[in-house]
Amino acid sequence: MAARGLVLASILVFSCFAQSCFGMISFSSLQRTLVVTASHRQGILKAGEDKITVTWGLNQSFPAGVDSAYKTIKIKLCYAPISQVDRAWRKTVDNLSKDKTCQFKIVARPYSNANQTFEWTIERDVPTATFFVRAYALDAQEHEVAYGQNTDAKKTTNLFEIQAISGRHVSLDIASVCFSAFSVVSLFGFFFAEKRKGRKSQQ
Amino acid sequence: MPNTNFPAKPEPPTMEPSSPRKPTLCLPVDSENKANEFHPLSSSPPHMLCFHLAWLCLFSCFISTFSIPPLVPIIRKDLNLSAADVGTAGIAAFIGAIFSRLAMGPVCDLVGPRIASATLSLLTAPFVLATAFVSSPNSFILVRFLVGFCLANFVANQFWMSSMFSSSVVGLANGVAAGWANMGAGLAQLVMPLLYSLVKSFNVPENTAWRVIFVVPAAFQALTAILVLVYGQDLPCGNYGDFKKISSRPKENFIKVFFHGVLNYRGWILGLTYGYCFGVEMTMDNVISQYFYYRFGVNLEVAGTIAACFAFTNWFARPMGGVFSDQMAKRFGIRGRLWSLWAVQTVAGLLCALLGRLDSLGGSVAVMCIFSVFVQASSGLTFGVVPFVSRRSLGVISGMTGSGGTLGAVVTQTLLFSGDKFSTQTSISLMGLMMIVCTLPVSLIYFPQWGGMFCGPKFSDESSADEDYHLLGIRSDDEEHNQDYI
Repeated sequence: MAARGLVLASILVFSCFAQSCFGMISFSSLQRTLVVTASHRQGILKAGEDKITVTWGLNQSFPAGVDSAYKTIKIKLCYAPISQVDRAWRKTVDNLSKDKTCQFKIVARPYSNANQTFEWTIERDVPTATFFVRAYALDAQEHEVAYGQNTDAKKTTNLFEIQAISGRHVSLDIASVCFSAFSVVSLFGFFFAEKRKGRKSQQ
Repeated sequence: MPNTNFPAKPEPPTMEPSSPRKPTLCLPVDSENKANEFHPLSSSPPHMLCFHLAWLCLFSCFISTFSIPPLVPIIRKDLNLSAADVGTAGIAAFIGAIFSRLAMGPVCDLVGPRIASATLSLLTAPFVLATAFVSSPNSFILVRFLVGFCLANFVANQFWMSSMFSSSVVGLANGVAAGWANMGAGLAQLVMPLLYSLVKSFNVPENTAWRVIFVVPAAFQALTAILVLVYGQDLPCGNYGDFKKISSRPKENFIKVFFHGVLNYRGWILGLTYGYCFGVEMTMDNVISQYFYYRFGVNLEVAGTIAACFAFTNWFARPMGGVFSDQMAKRFGIRGRLWSLWAVQTVAGLLCALLGRLDSLGGSVAVMCIFSVFVQASSGLTFGVVPFVSRRSLGVISGMTGSGGTLGAVVTQTLLFSGDKFSTQTSISLMGLMMIVCTLPVSLIYFPQWGGMFCGPKFSDESSADEDYHLLGIRSDDEEHNQDYI
């Protein structure tokens, strides 16, 4: 009985450690070996319309062989610090599985030594905020092993703003106004009808 | 002086002995034609029909007020809201209700609960629809403030039930009417994400999809209001407008009645208590969906379903609280009511504190469900004590307690759920501790003729008690007395 309890306890303890060994990848452990640039037109970009051209590749100043584990490159659109202020649902944390900085996938490509380019039309559901672009290098087990971004370490340069598509439509506005008018008119109509009924019953 | 039974809520005018028409009533009634029995599954006019109209009207108001919280993860993305904006909007939703609930008592006295509740519903339905226009954080906060006014229908609902049901069943009627209506908060959490997914499936972009669906709660609110106007009636024999000037009692000075209520310390304590059971319930309705979505990573529909479970327990939990209060009163009198209120609300506080400390999804859902039963029963138990505080100023006391509920929601949200000071789970635990502390003042409530939690009654003879506290109705020896001491 005690032995079974001990086995169960050790399995639980071991699984916790296993989680921390294999589950948690921290961003600070990744090497910045990729070079990423993002080009776009001047001014505030419009979701659904404007395009961003992303170019990425290995930083040649690193020794050869550093990219031996890289199998896939995932490019993501990430929130800049200014868009994370007082918004815990976009918070940056070191544990990558809990990190909410990069919520939009731009593209995923198999890794190759040469520089690659991709032209991305900003998706319709991207919200109004300030962004930068980050690339993660993943190994065969889909774990992040390196990264690169188009901004500096403090995430202050090369940021760009995107304006979301407004959800308001003229037809929706008109329908809402009509319904509201109906609601108020029916109330006064009822009062009027009641008064007339009262006057009739008095006659 | 005509015979009057004790109403649980603001007292409606009594009827003239010669009424314009003789009503055909299906339920056994007392001398004022108030029903002596309560059959929730029947819709016999006028009593049960009005019960259904009343709870449906308030139900639609709860749906409207809580239709926004489950969609906040989408809306905050669209409008670029910060956590402070979301918190402020949640608070704004209740601030309007604080004042509108206080005002609703006298309005019901003047025009009757039917017109009062229907008017409020029809005038606030456009605000629900106005959510479709919102495009900035400030307009979002404003819309939630305006929509929150419709929660005043709670006072009209309870007033209406008191006009229709006699003292032997009024507690149960009030508890069921309020409890079933509170489920609207849960239905909104469940249905709004589903409607959103449905509209999105027609290839409508996200930012438009969430705006379109507000037509559903708005239309339902308008519909229930129209049904109330067409089929409802204020009193078992007709409407206020059918009787010219009703009361055969000397007209009470409104200012005197108001100050009499406001200066009664028990009203304040019950307001505080209600603020930390109903207020906590409202706060949870506002934050629970986001909590599960964000902390445990479930998707929007699942978060909405879990949040809905919280409100759906109102179906039986709040009525159970009222019934439990009545049962305890039969055995121990007012002391039983006070002790049961303190005990149930303290247990609710402990469960709330525990909820914030749990790390697993399953455990959190389970504790949340048990917590919801206790906190909603506390609301029912609070209104088991309210009728006994003051007979003269019953409307004012009910308004104070009802407003206290929404004020508690405002205070809790401001202190704990705005901005980034605490993580949501810490805030939930702190809220539980606040509940326990704010329930302690119940021990200070003392009635000279019935006693309090720790002290026995001062007067053994009822007739020597202060007339203002005198209340008619059920005594511990189970006999109903109809006495009038005004």
